[in-house]
Amino acid sequence: MSCGLTFRALRALLACLALASAGASAHASDERRIAIAVHGGAGVIAPAELTPEREASIRAALQAAVDAGYAVLEHGGSSLDAVTAAVRVLEDDPQFNAGRGAVLTHDGAAELDASIMDGHSLRAGAVAGVRHVKNPIELARLVMDKSPHVFLIGSGAEEFALAQGLTLVPNEYFRTPERERQLERAKQSERAGGAKTSATGTVGAVALDRDGNLAAATSTGGMTNKRHGRVGDSPIIGAGTYARNGVCAVSATGHGEYFIRLAVAHDICSLVAYRGLTLDEAVREVLHVKLQGLGGDGGVIALDGEGSIVMDFNSPGMFRAARDSSGRREIAIYRDR
Amino acid sequence: MYAIAIHGGAGAMPRDRLSPEAQQRLHAGLQSALDAGYAVLERGGSSLDAVTAAVRVLEDDPQFNAGRGAVLTRGGTVELDASIMDGRSLRAGAVASVRHVRNPVELARLVMEHSRHVLLVGSGAEEFALEHGMSLVANEYFRTEERARELAIVRAGSRVSELIPVPGGTVGAVALDRDGNLAAATSTGGMTNKRHGRVGDSPIIGAGTYARNGVCAVSATGHGEAFIRAVAAYHVCLSVEQRGLTLEQAVREVLHERIGALGARGGIIAIDARGNAVLEFTAEGMFRGCRDSRGRNEVALFRDP
Repeated sequence: MSCGLTFRALRALLACLALASAGASAHASDERRIAIAVHGGAGVIAPAELTPEREASIRAALQAAVDAGYAVLEHGGSSLDAVTAAVRVLEDDPQFNAGRGAVLTHDGAAELDASIMDGHSLRAGAVAGVRHVKNPIELARLVMDKSPHVFLIGSGAEEFALAQGLTLVPNEYFRTPERERQLERAKQSERAGGAKTSATGTVGAVALDRDGNLAAATSTGGMTNKRHGRVGDSPIIGAGTYARNGVCAVSATGHGEYFIRLAVAHDICSLVAYRGLTLDEAVREVLHVKLQGLGGDGGVIALDGEGSIVMDFNSPGMFRAARDSSGRREIAIYRDR
Repeated sequence: MYAIAIHGGAGAMPRDRLSPEAQQRLHAGLQSALDAGYAVLERGGSSLDAVTAAVRVLEDDPQFNAGRGAVLTRGGTVELDASIMDGRSLRAGAVASVRHVRNPVELARLVMEHSRHVLLVGSGAEEFALEHGMSLVANEYFRTEERARELAIVRAGSRVSELIPVPGGTVGAVALDRDGNLAAATSTGGMTNKRHGRVGDSPIIGAGTYARNGVCAVSATGHGEAFIRAVAAYHVCLSVEQRGLTLEQAVREVLHERIGALGARGGIIAIDARGNAVLEFTAEGMFRGCRDSRGRNEVALFRDP
């Protein structure tokens, strides 16, 4: 690892020197592509219910997240740092179902799950069922970087957070009036014999940095009115999150149980690696054939080793944004906009 | 054609530290689990019932690191993980970090059959167990003298592999029934002296357990973190399904290349749609057995018989 860092530092230094000698207009034409995509969940609000103000606010938040991640990449930072930065912005924004503003369990608490994977080393970190960690993605990153483990859950994960110097917050921090209303509605619907839970708004990011390293991260509060202890795909490496250099990075959102059963994130990568499908074809096969065949809905954002971005879903919409060094900038909610 | 394979963990197992009596007891424990699962298949039962029955026997046997006799956490308690998958419907159930459920594989099965979820953890999983009429047991039920000694030795700074005569490990089973349905199940206490809340690959569908009809059923044991990162169990299945590898090639590649590349070791048992069983490991030994309707009936502990 230290070799990588040194190499990166040296490369940045050389780039600076080259820039200084060639003048500000110098443009490294052989510079490798950088790219990032983020999502704020699939299964979005019906177009009629999304007021123009709300839509503008969500678009601004997606923009802020993708820009935060892109800024890291632009400064020569790692894809791991970029996905962490982007997801942190979405966790802090109460409009999304992760970190502050996460959905509430049947008991009215927030229980958060997150994971991150480094496509370079295949290291990974994940946490589930945490109730007091402001940014679960940072804890997942700490599990990856500072523990011999991949997956820590519940109070054990929080003990680890404390040991690593993270400050814990009361569960109240995550609660918002809107999520309380949603929980109440879900319980009413449950009493009326309707749907007991609903899944919306998981967040995630995938990125490719200048060194060709891929990374993926996902964070969620799970499903509204979920049973205490229920864990979906977001913290499951291979289901909600997967990254492997030269192949692809994937972050998923949707009905988590189906994504676990199909090992969705890993399956997309394996179709690219072994069946020679393009990333677009692989995503389409997994989402529209396999997942749909099983009755699951949701979406994924994915990125391959060349920086091609795919954002697809089989639900009404998916909050998403992408940006890369070839000039692509995109923010969208529904299929056509 | 019907068949079942089981494992009782892979690891460093110095043969000379296992007395003939201890080896005999392990053999007997494995054989009775194998027979319990096989009996289900023989009378026309499902592969799901067969793997559940076999794993239950191993959970109840204190020689293995699952259910009673599971290893102890740093805090001296037992935290159990298990999962099960039905290859026919791709339904799956898993539990992690439960402390009061006598047979975690049965709770995983309940999660699969009576909840809309796949993974339930901690006290939430135990609430679910109670709601479904399971009686909980005290954590003390799982503790054995041997595991308490093992924890003390590890805390004193030694490696388990160097000192403990019976590092019986994670348990699992894979089966093919008469109807061609595949199933897999895995159950564990995790690592000795593990951090409270640490979860390995056993309850992770795709990592420790996977089953898909027409392809294969897989249960893994070993260094869980590496098996999660390699998405080991699913990778075996996808290699058979998407790449046309034989089951043996697929298992060997995962163990020797993917897990090996991460600096880790372990073992995998797998069975394909024709009932061929593969029991492969990169550790020194793997407690294992397999039995099928063609007459194969084997139990082994080490690489050489």
